[in-house]
Amino acid sequence: MQKRILMAKTGLDGHWRGPTIVARALRDAGFEVIMIGMANTDDIVTSAVDEDVDLVGLNIGGHIDVAIRSIENVQAARPGLPIFAGGTIPPHAAKQLEALGVEVYPPGSQLIDIVDAAERLTGIK
Amino acid sequence: MQKSPTDKAVYSRSGIELKSFYTESDIPQEHRSRVTSNPGDAPYHRGFHPSGYRSKPWRIFQLSGFGKPEDENERIKFLLKNGETGFIMEHDRNTGDHCYNVDHPEVVARREDVGLTGAVMQSVRDTAICMDGLPIGSSFGHAGGAVVQHAPFALASYWTVAKQRGFDLGKLPGTGQSDFNLTYLGCVTKEQIPTQPGLRFNADIIEFCDRYLPYWVPVSIAGYNAADTGLTPDQELGVLFANAVEYLDEIKRRGSVDIARAARACGGVSFRASIEFIEEACKMRAARLMWADLLHKRYGISDPKVANLRIHCVTAGSKMTYQQPLNNIVRGTLMALGAVFGGVQSLGVSGYDEALSIPSEHAHQMSVRIQQILQEETGISNVTDPLGGSYYIETLTAQLAEKAWTFFEEIQKQGGYLAALDSGWLHACASENQYQEFMDMERGDQQVIGVNCFKDDGSPFEVDGFMGTDDAFDVATERLKEVLRTRHEAGAASALKRLEADCRSDTNIMPAMMEAMSAEVTLGEIGDVYRDVFGNWDTPIQT
Repeated sequence: MQKRILMAKTGLDGHWRGPTIVARALRDAGFEVIMIGMANTDDIVTSAVDEDVDLVGLNIGGHIDVAIRSIENVQAARPGLPIFAGGTIPPHAAKQLEALGVEVYPPGSQLIDIVDAAERLTGIK
Repeated sequence: MQKSPTDKAVYSRSGIELKSFYTESDIPQEHRSRVTSNPGDAPYHRGFHPSGYRSKPWRIFQLSGFGKPEDENERIKFLLKNGETGFIMEHDRNTGDHCYNVDHPEVVARREDVGLTGAVMQSVRDTAICMDGLPIGSSFGHAGGAVVQHAPFALASYWTVAKQRGFDLGKLPGTGQSDFNLTYLGCVTKEQIPTQPGLRFNADIIEFCDRYLPYWVPVSIAGYNAADTGLTPDQELGVLFANAVEYLDEIKRRGSVDIARAARACGGVSFRASIEFIEEACKMRAARLMWADLLHKRYGISDPKVANLRIHCVTAGSKMTYQQPLNNIVRGTLMALGAVFGGVQSLGVSGYDEALSIPSEHAHQMSVRIQQILQEETGISNVTDPLGGSYYIETLTAQLAEKAWTFFEEIQKQGGYLAALDSGWLHACASENQYQEFMDMERGDQQVIGVNCFKDDGSPFEVDGFMGTDDAFDVATERLKEVLRTRHEAGAASALKRLEADCRSDTNIMPAMMEAMSAEVTLGEIGDVYRDVFGNWDTPIQT
C-alpha cells in the first residue's frame, strides 16, 4: 500500500522551490504526495482528515505561531499523525516545533535525510 | 561547478565547458574586435563611462522593511545613517502582493505573519508614515510593489505622498519594480491577475511615467527572481530580454510613447550575483552587450543614452546558508565583488541571516559595511572594467551572450515570454535545474561549506531569526477601521468606481489610481476590483 503524504505551505509567501524539490524526491521514493500549496489551518486539517494521509509535511516561511496553530489542530483531529517541517525556520522556532513532536529540516537539509524520515515516520522502515 | 580529476570535463554554472587556462585564440572571432574597445564604446560590455566608479560609485541599495510603517521608516533611516545611498521600501507580502486588506480571511488566518516581510500599507496614510522624513527628492527611492498587481498601488501611493509633501513629480527620482519573473515565476501568490492584464498594467505605468515622471524607472525586470528560482546565468539573461521585448513590443503596438524613450525607461534592470563570481561578472558584461544588440537589431535604436543598461544587482539569497551563518558574510562579499567586477550601478547584499529570517539590524548593517569596505578600502573603484581583456573573461562573456540568445530563441519558440509563463515551460526549466543543483550537493559534486562538508561549528556567536515586531497586525487592523471611518466616503466610492470602469476599458489605469489614492481608497478594495474584472491566473507549477 502506497503511503500518502500531505504537503502544504502555511504562509502566503509564494516561494516554491523548497517544497517542490522535496515533493519530487518523495514521489521518486514511492510516496503519493498530495500538494495543496498555500493553505490555512482549516485547509490543512480538512485535507489531513479527508485524504487519510500517513504524514504531513509543512513548508514554513513565516511566523512560527501560524504553523503551530495548524500543527495543534492537525494533532487534535488526527492524534498520532506524524508531522515534519521545512523552510525558513530559525533555531528558536525549530525548538518550539520539536517540543510538539515535529521533526524539522531547515535549509541545507539533504533530500536523502528527508526521504529517510518519511520512511521512518510512515513505518516503512 | 564540479570538482573533478583533470581529465574530466568541467562546466560553468551555465553549462559552458571550461578550459584549464585561456589564450588569445580562445576568444570567439566575432568578439575580438570588441576586446579592443574602451569603456564607453559600443557595444558597451566594458561599461558606459570611461571613468566608471570614479565618477559615480555604485548605489548601496538594500531591501528593507518590516512591522508597522513606522518600524520600516526607522530601519530605512538607520540604513541611510549608516551610509546606504538609496532606499527600498518593502510592503508586507500577505497584504501587498495579494492586494488584500488585513481583515481578509486568508490574512487573519495568518495574522502573526503580517509585517514579517515588510510594513503593512493599506492606504496612503500608511505610506505617508513609512516615508516620513525620508529624503525622497534627493535620494533614489524604490517604492516597493515588486509584484505586478501590487505595483500601481505602491507607486501611486508613494507619488501621492510625494505630492502632498510638495515635491514635483516631474523631478522625482526613483524606481518601481512590478517584475514578471517574481510575480509569475519565482514567487507566485495565492491569487493574482493573469499575465495579459499584468502586461497591460506595466505598459500603463511606462506610459504614465513617460508623461509625468521622466526621472522615474517605471518597471524593473529582475533576472534575479528567475535565477534564484533556478535558471542558470545564461537563462537569466535570455529570460530578461525575452521579458523586455514583451514590454517594448506592447508599447510599440500602442504607439503612445516614443520607442526609444520607452527603451531607455525599460533599461533599469536587476540581476542576481551568485557565488560563482567570475561567471557572474561576465554575465553583467554580456547583458550590456546584448541590450545594445537587441535595441539596434529589433528597434533600430543605437543612441548610447538609450542603450545604457543600468544594472541593479542583489546577491543570491538562496546561496546564503542556514548552517554557520557568519560564513555568509564572506559569501556576500564575494558575490558583491562579482557584481562590481561586472560594473553594476547599484547593489544590495543579502543579510548573513538570510536563510533564517529577514535581516536583523546588525545583519543589515553588515550588508552596507561590506559594500563600503569594497568602495573605500580595496581600491576597486579606481579602474573601470578591471577584468577587461583577460582571455578567459572575454571568452566567457561572449559565450554567455551566445548561449543566452539561444535561450531567448527557445522562449520565442514557446510563443514568447508570456506564453512560456502561462504554459509552465519556464517553471519546468527552473524546477529541473533546482533538482540538479540539489543532486550535485547530495553526491558531493558541489561542496557547500558548513552544509555538506566541514560541518563542525565552533562559533561562539549565536545567530537566530529576527522576527520584527509583534503588533503589526493589530495596529494595521485599527488603522484600516480608522481610514474607512474618517475618509470622505462619497469621494472614495466615486474614485473606486472610476478605477473599475478604467480597468474594464483600455484606459490607462494610473490616473484613476492616483485619484483613488487621494480619496484614500484602500488596497483590499482595489484588489477586489482586480479579482472581479480580471479573474485569477491559473498557476502552472507542477506540484
